[in-house]
Amino acid sequence: MKTVIKTTDLTKIYNGGAAEVHALKKVNLEFKQGEFTAIVGPSGSGKTTFLNVLGGLDKPTEGHIYIDGVDLATMKESKLFDFRLRHIGFVFQAYNLIPVLTAMENVSFIMLLQKRSKEEMERRAKEMLEQVGLADKLDVRPSQLSGGQQQRVAVARALASKPDFILADEPTANLDTESAFNLLDIMARLNKEENVTMIFSTHDQRVIDRARRVINLVDGAVDEDKEFDR
Amino acid sequence: MITLLKISWRNIWRNKARSFIIIAALIIGVIGAIFSAAVRLGVEQQQFKDTVGNQISHIQIHHPEFIANPEARYRIPDGFQLAEEIRNRPDVTITSPRTVFDGMGASANLTTGVRIKGIDPGIEAITTGLDQLVQEGSYFSERGRLPSIIIGKELANNLNSDVGSRIVLTFQDIEGEIVSASFRVEGLYLVADKTFEKRTVFVDAKDLNQLIGDTKAVTEIAVVLTDIDEYRNVASELQAAYPDTKVRHWADIVPFLYFSLEFLERNLIWIFGLIILGVSFGLLNTILMSVLERVRELGVLMAIGMKKIKVFAMVVVETTMLSIIGGLIGLIISFGLVQYLSKHGLDLSGAGGEGLGEFGYASVIYPELALAMYFQLGMLIIVFAILAALYPAWKAIRLVPAEAVRQE
Ligand SMILES: Nc1ncnc2c1ncn2[C@@H]1O[C@H](COP(=O)(O)OP(=O)(O)O)[C@@H](O)[C@H]1O
Ligand SMILES: [Mg+2]
Repeated sequence: MKTVIKTTDLTKIYNGGAAEVHALKKVNLEFKQGEFTAIVGPSGSGKTTFLNVLGGLDKPTEGHIYIDGVDLATMKESKLFDFRLRHIGFVFQAYNLIPVLTAMENVSFIMLLQKRSKEEMERRAKEMLEQVGLADKLDVRPSQLSGGQQQRVAVARALASKPDFILADEPTANLDTESAFNLLDIMARLNKEENVTMIFSTHDQRVIDRARRVINLVDGAVDEDKEFDR
Repeated sequence: MITLLKISWRNIWRNKARSFIIIAALIIGVIGAIFSAAVRLGVEQQQFKDTVGNQISHIQIHHPEFIANPEARYRIPDGFQLAEEIRNRPDVTITSPRTVFDGMGASANLTTGVRIKGIDPGIEAITTGLDQLVQEGSYFSERGRLPSIIIGKELANNLNSDVGSRIVLTFQDIEGEIVSASFRVEGLYLVADKTFEKRTVFVDAKDLNQLIGDTKAVTEIAVVLTDIDEYRNVASELQAAYPDTKVRHWADIVPFLYFSLEFLERNLIWIFGLIILGVSFGLLNTILMSVLERVRELGVLMAIGMKKIKVFAMVVVETTMLSIIGGLIGLIISFGLVQYLSKHGLDLSGAGGEGLGEFGYASVIYPELALAMYFQLGMLIIVFAILAALYPAWKAIRLVPAEAVRQE
């Protein structure tokens, strides 16, 4: 399988408060096409920082992120917006959706920014919402959806735009067990069907058990990197 | 189909109460601005109509000495012929040759200084509409034993006279000899300018000229133009054509009126600006609040690839939409209000407006405002709204997506 993302000596130091925080310490990792990988670790171990830097939302202090041979670490901010739009799908813990748009419009939104044709947008948005089991909620606004349903719309949105990979920072953290499993099942299925790389962070053991690769972060450094056949 | 416009539009209705408040503030601001401007302009226009239309006309011609010494001695040579010549110009509607000078007016028991205007009643009616101003009695339609005089209602009160009363005028003839003559009050006129009403009396120029000993006497020629805006050009042409006379246009004669009109027209935009500025701060505050409430949401938008310029535009469009809604409603309401009042009048007499007459103002005001002014104000609102949106929009795009989407 071809390598989608490669990081070399990825380091992030926050200078915010009184003392420096070394949130990432020389992280060297590779992610291959179609991976379904969990980044795990206790709170404060650097999961969010890692995903943010990986997704071009934040700059590393040192090191590089190569995506298809392009280095995000040295990319200009204006280019990064476009890069994220075309190559990376995001799912956050909460507040993913635009409250004033319906599920259908939310899923179409990135494609709108990508300037896809109207027909493609509608077809794809419908298809993705069906895939996440929300075919009957097309015209419903986020406030009328449950937390789990909102996260499923967010996954549908991330996938609809056909990114190279999807980064999800604790996507199940706000969900009850059943919804969390349901979301993970959907993500795992779409990961296979669409052959899209998915990297998500979590500290929930039951969610970790579904991942095919588990990377354990401790104090900003990779402690363990294991693959499972599931 | 979703567009940024649609998102902006829906965003402004997320917090309905807040949007309604800012729209209401805009409406009130616009009505306040339009109404105060329209009333001020209405007052000035009314005063212009009273003063220039009913009293002095567009241009006046005198003997150069007459202005300092309004006496029968200082007559315009061949005045009637001059008036006729000027009337024949294509840019002149009518001219009114008059015999004007100062004198004394006396009733049975009181005497007061008056300005005596000898006129041709027919011509004067067309020139200043004097016949229309007569409220009691009639306008030079009776020929009694005594010649007729038309006086102001204010003067009649002062002299304890009424229609039918006898008034004795005393003045100098062309030789400077004192002459006295009796007149019968035929009509009482009313104008907004009470000082004028208190002082100015009208008699038939034929009667007056006989008394001063020059049947061809003319001391003043009032000129009405076809196009008022040409007053400066026509005045200087007339002055050049008749160098022995003194030609003055209305702005020379009543500079105060001229300057207040000029000032008003030039400065309305600033009055508007000031009011809109106040409203804009409210708008800025509202939009800023709505941006700060949406930090995470805007962060997510930028994280998933919405360019800063689009986020910026979205905030500006939201503000502009609010201002267009509020501004448009405000403009429509104030247009209706001004249209209504310009027909029915705004009566200030109950609100201490009676005293306005002393300063030459009418107590019933007819507010008016050119359509262009509504347009200008509308533009101004949009410009200010966009300015007010810049800071919140800038705040929005300064968000760091990585920080904004962080969950703690
Ligand atoms: N903006 C920041 N300024 C300073 N320190 C930060 C900032 N963001 C995160 N950190 C610190 O970096 C470390 C890693 O945080 P984070 O990536 O959020 O970990 P996790 O997502 O695993 O909980 C923590 O010690 C956290 O306090
Ligand atoms: Mg985290």
